[in-house]
Amino acid sequence: MIDAEMSRPLWHRLLANRFTVVLVSIALVIAIWNLYVSLHDHGVVEGRVVDSDGRPVDSATVTLWVLNFTTYVEKTHAITDADGGFVIRGNDSHNIQIGAEKPGVGRAPRIPVRLYFKGQDVSLAAPLVLTGG
Amino acid sequence: MHRYPRWPIHLALLAAGILMLIPFYWVLKTSVSGENIFSFPPSIVPEAPHLFYYVDVWYYIPFARYFLNSVAVSAIAVAANVVLNAMAGYALTRGFAGKSAVLMLFLSCMMVPFQATIIPAYLITGRLGLLDSYLGLALPQCSTIVCIFVFKASFEAVPQSLIDAARIDGLSEWGIIWRMMIPLAKAAVATNVILSFIWSWNNFLWPLIVTRSADMQTLPLGLARFLSYQENTTGALYAFCIMVLAPGILLFLLAQKEFIQGLTSGAIKA
Repeated sequence: MIDAEMSRPLWHRLLANRFTVVLVSIALVIAIWNLYVSLHDHGVVEGRVVDSDGRPVDSATVTLWVLNFTTYVEKTHAITDADGGFVIRGNDSHNIQIGAEKPGVGRAPRIPVRLYFKGQDVSLAAPLVLTGG
Repeated sequence: MHRYPRWPIHLALLAAGILMLIPFYWVLKTSVSGENIFSFPPSIVPEAPHLFYYVDVWYYIPFARYFLNSVAVSAIAVAANVVLNAMAGYALTRGFAGKSAVLMLFLSCMMVPFQATIIPAYLITGRLGLLDSYLGLALPQCSTIVCIFVFKASFEAVPQSLIDAARIDGLSEWGIIWRMMIPLAKAAVATNVILSFIWSWNNFLWPLIVTRSADMQTLPLGLARFLSYQENTTGALYAFCIMVLAPGILLFLLAQKEFIQGLTSGAIKA
């Protein structure tokens, strides 16, 4: 078995061993992850705002809070369009909260949104629901 | 062939293995669930597991910098251990005046705890101008007596006739060590690599004393710093533990066969 191992060329022995394969695999995963991050870190947060009946709410104010080490601080705002959609740009955090409000319609409580890296582009799966107006 | 069935031994070993893995599983589970360790009743399977605590660790502290420091220090310690211990181990297989005294000195030194020598070690490192440097961090672990004896046991298993033949063929003592002994002692090399890596990787006290700047801190110091920063960090703390443990476990899993061979070589005489 040792003879068979030694009969292989040096480059083959260096490349096709478990140490090299594992380390190269880890390096490959890290490279792919960094490529993915660089393509998806524009800091865009998208979503929709609806009222308690599920109808889109236009001109609602959507606020982004970002974690400032121990507390959440207000970062920026966006206004919903006619379809209730909003796009917030400039998020540079990985731990954020999103809330919405429109006088006369109601307020959506802040929802925490966790991201896998700072500024990850994210589209909220569930709409923000304004209630209590 | 076997007079007794093996399954009871396997069953007992399996139970012992599971028992030893429970703490690791618990750390892993808490790192993805954040569940408080004191919660009752404890859940065996994590509820709604996620990886966001790992993200928190990455951003709360300069993890990449600490990781790089630990890798650099461990790499120096591992390289120095393999080179210096192989030389010392080979020397101890040769006959020379005072060999028994040297062996006795080595064995005696193993009984002195590192804490007892930390002040002279610090003073020597300071005089060499190596405080707050990678070399200074690795210096006390550049050679360990246990690993010297691992090499010694491995080299002693090489037949004397083989060494004589190499010498007749014109190989120098250096050549005998690096071109003949080391290739024949892969298990001892793996044992040296794993032990020196884990000892260096997990070292806390020496880096705490030697480092001055935050940029030179290693992962165990980062863990202590992380604890001082955050209060409610059950999940992130355990995630940090996993991130610190992972390289050592990976290295052990990769080289475990040679590691076990290295530890047991010399334990029995053929």
